[in-house]
Amino acid sequence: MSQPQRVLQGHGCAVGQFEGEVVVSQQPFGFWQGLDPESGVVIDKRHDCCGATIKGKAFIFPYGRGSTGTPGIFLEAVRNGCAPAAIINVKSEPMIIMCAILAEAFFKVAIPIVDGLELATQEALRTGDRVRIDGATGRIEILARA
Amino acid sequence: MYLTDEEQRILDGKCGDPQRVALRVLVKLGEACGAERMVPIVSAHLVASSYQIAGEAGIEIYSQLVAQGARVAVQTTSDPGSIDFARWREFKTPADYAARQVKIAELLDRMGVIPTWTCTPYATFNLPRFGDHLGWSESSAVVFVNSVIGARTNRLAAYVDLCAALTGRVPYFGLHVTENRRGQVVFELTPDLTADFADHYFPALGYLVGQTVGDKVPVIVGLRQATFDQLKAFGAASAASGSVALYHMVGITPEARTLEEACGRQAPAERVVVGRREIGAVMEQMGGVVDGPVDVVGIGCPHASIDQMRRYASLLEGKRIHSGTELWVCTNVVVEEMARKMGYVGIIERAGAKLMVGTCHNDCPLGAWGFRRLMTDSGKFAYYTPTTVGTQCVFGSTEACIQAAIAGKVERS
Repeated sequence: MSQPQRVLQGHGCAVGQFEGEVVVSQQPFGFWQGLDPESGVVIDKRHDCCGATIKGKAFIFPYGRGSTGTPGIFLEAVRNGCAPAAIINVKSEPMIIMCAILAEAFFKVAIPIVDGLELATQEALRTGDRVRIDGATGRIEILARA
Repeated sequence: MYLTDEEQRILDGKCGDPQRVALRVLVKLGEACGAERMVPIVSAHLVASSYQIAGEAGIEIYSQLVAQGARVAVQTTSDPGSIDFARWREFKTPADYAARQVKIAELLDRMGVIPTWTCTPYATFNLPRFGDHLGWSESSAVVFVNSVIGARTNRLAAYVDLCAALTGRVPYFGLHVTENRRGQVVFELTPDLTADFADHYFPALGYLVGQTVGDKVPVIVGLRQATFDQLKAFGAASAASGSVALYHMVGITPEARTLEEACGRQAPAERVVVGRREIGAVMEQMGGVVDGPVDVVGIGCPHASIDQMRRYASLLEGKRIHSGTELWVCTNVVVEEMARKMGYVGIIERAGAKLMVGTCHNDCPLGAWGFRRLMTDSGKFAYYTPTTVGTQCVFGSTEACIQAAIAGKVERS
């Protein structure tokens, strides 16, 4: 196992393990009308990650803009294999946590969520960095820089 | 989290798979949100009844639950679907899309959901009482029943609402708890604004409030009266532009007989003054009036009441909608039937307007229409239109909307 270059400690909100690339956004994100569940690409034209593929990646954004329809789009993406594989927030609202709980309950897919990471800490991560995330402990290991 | 013996039995699978899976979801949610126990609910309302929201994932989830014999445990109603079940061809909905919505309807029927297909279930078959605990989603309905009725529900997510319906429970946190219902931001309306508070200022004020407070609890001071429909319009706008789930209007809503009561006898953290200038600025932002043609006028968001249908009919009596403009009136089948009996539907349809029943502009696929500009009297539509309908939006009063539909264009007065 590769050794981490740096470790960030957050708060685990949903269990699961992840190792892979991150996509970092500085803006709040709403999955409803923000993500194309058929491709895993961000389609919200007002968003700083518009056009980015978050399928299979760890998606990092400050907090969710949560319509109650959020899990609709999120689970559609999970079903298509196009959902992000992990989420890191400054503050994870119940709507985002519910997405992970539902994905596990109905599609047996564990999507770790970690929050409690201030913007400054988020700025420690850049799109393309490789990380290892443990959703139970809230530990994030930075493995390689982009 | 503390669980009763019965809840433990459900989690152990003694009451079948649907209940076990549903309660597990609710327990995990409760743990994540700091709930110490569950609370029984009186009713549920489901937002993933629409194919646009539920998609194929929803059909898969519902099919699995139905196959396992799932039945709702409390009175449960459905939000609008993605088609008008009777008129989807008129609205150019693709047949394969309509078939998927019909499939969802069959699955919900088999679970015992009342097919209200409305965002105003509180005006049809699902009327909560003061203090009732509920498991509802649909942001505009949640904010209405919390604020205007004094029932208690969090903004549940799609499918979590179904978990609540199947088990008759929700985790006890957030707006179920009295302390969390205190007003946090006080909006003081200036006398120049309240002296002549127009009907369409309600959605505009809601839009402004939602933008300002996000998910905090706002308190409005200075209004002397508000109708059922005005409160509905205000709340829906605040829940769209922000995520307001509860507001207080001093002297109008039940938990706000006084400002002190609304704030739980604590000093509110913030105060905001709103006058004519602020309302004017927010209406400009919602979609200022620009001269030119309007392709579609959308009214009845949230779903029109019988009183609104009467008002639309009186404005349309003997008139004719412009040939290049659509006027769509969104409502539910209960109001439609009553409005038909009372002659309102006849007047509205003779004028060339269409009833859009059990759905709305936000929920339907409208790509085939190629609309460029929509006009609406709804703050919620105004918020979502640029993304859902993909058009430019104009916001105006109900009268201005109907006038624009007749003229085929909107003019700066």
